[in-house]
Amino acid sequence: MIAEQAIRHPRRRLRLPQSRRGTVALLELPSVLVVVAITLFPVLYSLNISFRSFSLTLPGHTGQWVGLDNYIRLLTDSAFFHAVWLIAVFTVVGVTIELALGLLIALVLDGLVTGRRLFTSLLLIPMILTPVVIGLMFNFVFNAQFGLFDYLIQALRIPLPHGILASSATAFAALVGTDIWEWTPFMALVLLAGLQALPSEPFEAARVDGASAWQTLRWITLPMLRPLIAVAILFRSAEAIKEFDKVFLLTAGGPGNATEVVDLFTYHVAFMSWDLSYGAALGMVLFTISMLVGAGFFKLLASDVGTA
Amino acid sequence: MSRRAKRRIKTLVSIVGLLILIVLVLSPYIWLVLTSFKTRGDAFSIPPRIIFTPTLDNYVQALFNRGYIHNLMNSAIVASCSTAVSLLVGVPAAYALARFRVRTNSLYLLLLLAARVIPAVALTIPLFILFNEAGLLDSYAAVIASHITFNLPFVIWMMRGFFLAIPPELDEAAVVDGCSYFGAFVRVVLPLTRGGLAATAIFCVINSWNDFLFAFLLTGRETATLTAVIPNLVTSFGTSWGQVAAVGTVTTIPVLLFAFAVQKYLVRGMTGGAVRG
Repeated sequence: MIAEQAIRHPRRRLRLPQSRRGTVALLELPSVLVVVAITLFPVLYSLNISFRSFSLTLPGHTGQWVGLDNYIRLLTDSAFFHAVWLIAVFTVVGVTIELALGLLIALVLDGLVTGRRLFTSLLLIPMILTPVVIGLMFNFVFNAQFGLFDYLIQALRIPLPHGILASSATAFAALVGTDIWEWTPFMALVLLAGLQALPSEPFEAARVDGASAWQTLRWITLPMLRPLIAVAILFRSAEAIKEFDKVFLLTAGGPGNATEVVDLFTYHVAFMSWDLSYGAALGMVLFTISMLVGAGFFKLLASDVGTA
Repeated sequence: MSRRAKRRIKTLVSIVGLLILIVLVLSPYIWLVLTSFKTRGDAFSIPPRIIFTPTLDNYVQALFNRGYIHNLMNSAIVASCSTAVSLLVGVPAAYALARFRVRTNSLYLLLLLAARVIPAVALTIPLFILFNEAGLLDSYAAVIASHITFNLPFVIWMMRGFFLAIPPELDEAAVVDGCSYFGAFVRVVLPLTRGGLAATAIFCVINSWNDFLFAFLLTGRETATLTAVIPNLVTSFGTSWGQVAAVGTVTTIPVLLFAFAVQKYLVRGMTGGAVRG
């Protein structure tokens, strides 16, 4: 609080021994130069490429100006819309289930008197593991010959086909399941942090009034947790729409293009078909979408007490 | 039933439920790690063997005979260099962004936000073309630079939060005592954020170590990191699945050790400072 007031009224500070602008420039300039050199310039370069026809390998694509052709092509590319549809389903289904399970786990952990730290330590493992290793690992787990998952569904006589990565619908479900495995603990830990920061008075009042556990959850816990839940959903969605590493190793987009989510589609366009300019146009569109989600995220953070 | 007995049962149910959950959640990873210590016969046995004679054969084979130790070194080089540069350049900037109100700062924060949210695949396309033209593909410089693209904005957002939590009266007192503002930053504020600084550094190492796409596209035979060689493991090892598991285990163990070290800051780090856990 004090910090924020002081930042808002720097004039009240003592006179600086050197000009403040000079100090700020000295402190910030190196980082600005780096960001401009390795991020801003490449993005602008990519924007330029996206209005051209450019490939390192295809003949006749030497970087000639084609205007909006790449963007028009994108609007009529059914493979692109398929990829967008897949990532939308992946994000909505995945994040919803992660939130529901995460909330349940957080509530159970919050009610625990001892051993909470041990459980949270073990729970953090999936979300910190290297994503490509997760993809590789689940590729083996779902392997039709020796996979752990196949062994279990056989042993428990669950009527699922052998090798679920081999058919479209089950491969996509496996991908979503892998994401849920990786990120449910994250949801649980974020929401647990929120639960533990809640004031105790409303809960005491509810108990005095004889509220049931469900009523307390529905009318006290959830409303107070809502800002944090919004932050968690937006944060996870912003990450989920960029899914690449796990799917690259798990299914590589297959079978066919049943799991070719939009970032993987863009990768295939740019680095398998070597159509770099169309890839650049796709990249600009993805960047714009990410920016919109990111802007929503930070607006949300600025507007409420989401930073529990 | 008394209230106390009820509560005991509730706790018991919670703990049993959580234990089952933990076993379910960790079983794929435990399976991977166990497989890395198994002989070929044990690795493929159905049902999976839990009790077996462990062997380090897979590690020796993968790391030394096939030379994956070289990729392990590359991961360490890339992670430490990208972390060092990001901290060196980013920490002073974070301090300035937290302390001084300059009109251009909000513009800079917006640029940093854009740099944070850009999908890796959108940025690799221009980076690949530019590094290719500069003859820098398969160089440490290229992959380290690409990792700075996400680590530098991360450092600035994280450290800005830590600096905002320190009352500016402290720097002012130092300035009154004759420090320059830069001196106050280095001698007074920075030591107070040691814990946050260490956590930020560790998160940078994890981010860099875990990156796949940049490393996969920008490195080559000489500079490939561990994650960059993982897609080719299956084809190059054939059915030596224990060795694949050994490489996977070697890739993840350092990350886990680092993560436990910064557990206190984990939620904060995973959300780039957005949620304070």
